[in-house]
Amino acid sequence: MEISQNSDTNYRKFVLPVDSEHKATEFRLFSIATPHMRAFHLSWISFFSCFVSTFAAPPLLPIIRDNLDLTATDIGNAGIAAVSGAVFARVAMGTACDLFGPRLASSSLILLTAPAVYLSAIANSPSAFLMVRFFTGFSLATFVSTQFWMSSMFSPNVVGTANGLSGGWGNLGGGATQLIMPLVYSLIHDNIGSTKFTAWRIAFFIPAFFQTLSAYAIFFLGQDMPDGNYVRLEKSGEKHKDSFSQVFYHAITNYRGWILALTYGYCFGVELTIDNIIAQYFYDRFNVNLHTAGIIAASFGLANLFSRPGGGILSDLVAKRFGMRGRLWTLWVVQMIGGLLCLLLGKIGSLSGSVAVMLVFSVFVQAACGLTFGVVPFVSRRSLGVISGMTGGGGNVGAVLTQVIFFRGSRYSTEEGISLMGVMIMCCTLVILFIYFPQWGGLFCGPKKGVTEEDYYLAEWTAAEKEQGFHKMSIKFSENSRRERGKKGASVPVLSDKDTPPTIV
Amino acid sequence: MEAPAGSMVVYLLLSCFVATSYGVYFSSLNETLIVTATHAKDQALKAGEEQITVTWRFNQTYKAGTDSSYKMVKVKLCYAPISQKDRSWRKTEDRLKKDKTCPHKIVARPYAASNNSFTWTIEKDIPTGVYFVRAYALNAQDQEVAYGQTTNGAKSTNLFNVQAITGRHVSLDIASVCFSAFSVVSLAGFFYMEKRKGKASQQK
Repeated sequence: MEISQNSDTNYRKFVLPVDSEHKATEFRLFSIATPHMRAFHLSWISFFSCFVSTFAAPPLLPIIRDNLDLTATDIGNAGIAAVSGAVFARVAMGTACDLFGPRLASSSLILLTAPAVYLSAIANSPSAFLMVRFFTGFSLATFVSTQFWMSSMFSPNVVGTANGLSGGWGNLGGGATQLIMPLVYSLIHDNIGSTKFTAWRIAFFIPAFFQTLSAYAIFFLGQDMPDGNYVRLEKSGEKHKDSFSQVFYHAITNYRGWILALTYGYCFGVELTIDNIIAQYFYDRFNVNLHTAGIIAASFGLANLFSRPGGGILSDLVAKRFGMRGRLWTLWVVQMIGGLLCLLLGKIGSLSGSVAVMLVFSVFVQAACGLTFGVVPFVSRRSLGVISGMTGGGGNVGAVLTQVIFFRGSRYSTEEGISLMGVMIMCCTLVILFIYFPQWGGLFCGPKKGVTEEDYYLAEWTAAEKEQGFHKMSIKFSENSRRERGKKGASVPVLSDKDTPPTIV
Repeated sequence: MEAPAGSMVVYLLLSCFVATSYGVYFSSLNETLIVTATHAKDQALKAGEEQITVTWRFNQTYKAGTDSSYKMVKVKLCYAPISQKDRSWRKTEDRLKKDKTCPHKIVARPYAASNNSFTWTIEKDIPTGVYFVRAYALNAQDQEVAYGQTTNGAKSTNLFNVQAITGRHVSLDIASVCFSAFSVVSLAGFFYMEKRKGKASQQK
């Protein structure tokens, strides 16, 4: 064993079993062991707080719209603004994770967007309302740091589970806020006795505090990688500081990233759109009261407790037997069914039928989100962050597009819009057919003979970079991702380059 | 030729029947009350501070006995069309159960044919907008049977403005700005700490 300057990391004991990159190969939900499970809990809690803040306004709109004299157009625009900011923020966040590490990147973003939530309390006009919702929405980019962090801490065999649970439990915030904010508001209004127009303002301090605290927790308790933080690993030479242009280039030239960005827009984007319009839909079409409509809206978001993680777990389960091809097939099937259920939702005329279809629809569409992030960690190793950011950003683009095309103005009734959105989901999901990994295959084609995981991941580094040994993490990842061949491919002998120096490819 | 009183009774009976089956429709009500609202000044009235004085009485040009079923009067503050524009939650519907034109209650009083007056301080949760006042006469089954309003049928005359409170307080403003600044400053602190840690590990 070589003796290095930081020998303590080589002999370090981890609570969970780890692979050669020190990523955990097991996922233990009720543990808070450093660094793996602690990172998990920090990431889902902080992402949850960002979702609570971003969707804190909708449940209080009946009061806010009277206070700020909002029209339906103002409210619609603010809803679109809330999800559009994150489109670019997510790509930027992906880059920041690749360059600075998820711990700094996410705590920075959370602290920079907390002022927008604090300042919501002093908004005084429709344009101020739009601005605070727009900037608060940037915080949804923490999704990317969550997925990146999980992909850095957990091995390929559990990465789908880790990603699904952290993403799903974060998304839960969008449903929980529909219950939390009215509760906080009534505590302030009834118990403390503030007037309506003051009580909602004070209520916004709660998600703002929660957000600030979670950023502090990440900074002081979190760690970028199993072996330490980027800053220390880079200065000691264990991790090389990558170049932005290279990282960005390898992300945008990988067509799989663009395909997943598009399809994510039609599972996650649809989820965000539904979060914004479903309460009104039930209120208007079925004449339930606002309180009931709010509970129905909340239940859509709360399904994330098990449906998105379920998608991630399913992805890992299917990969055990069928590898990456299994992950892709399952994603395609689940998202297609989601589209079909969306089409059906708009056609049903009874209240109980609608609620039932909506609940099943929520499970499928959220599971598709979890399944998408079972595939994303494998698209690129070098540019994991930017790919995650592109996919995440694509999700928000989908939300903006569907709201603008189907749910703005009076071109379509809400039920027509929902059905048409279902059709669009199915059409856009077809592009998954085009994803092909030469080392593992695609939906219809098997892998190319003789192509290895190393060929795919090391192609992201130039010969000069390889000579300097910058690509070490990609070698380790290639070995660890051999499971993606599934049971059939595992029997194929693989040339191991453990005995050969890294410069020979 | 039927006596007008007789047809009135039949009409009232019919509207009661309609009311119990489908709910009361505004178009079925007669404007038998005369309502006036006066306020101190002509500019926008400030919510929580200024007052309006509402008076209502039975319009004597209608046949005596028309108001025999009126038991209660509910006076409400209603949105003018301009304040309903692009705001479907304030929409006017003919079916009174679904109508959202008049959500704000001013006062409810037992019915008296004349000499009714009430001075109301505009409440703090009234939003900014253009308003008029309407009074509904209710029967013993608590259903609307007649109405009166301060404006005309097209709701275009005699409207008044209300300016809402902002709900903001100086203490809230200060707290907001301070916490925001604190967030940004603590972030700068984080970066500084991180840089120092980096330098320290380089020196190891």
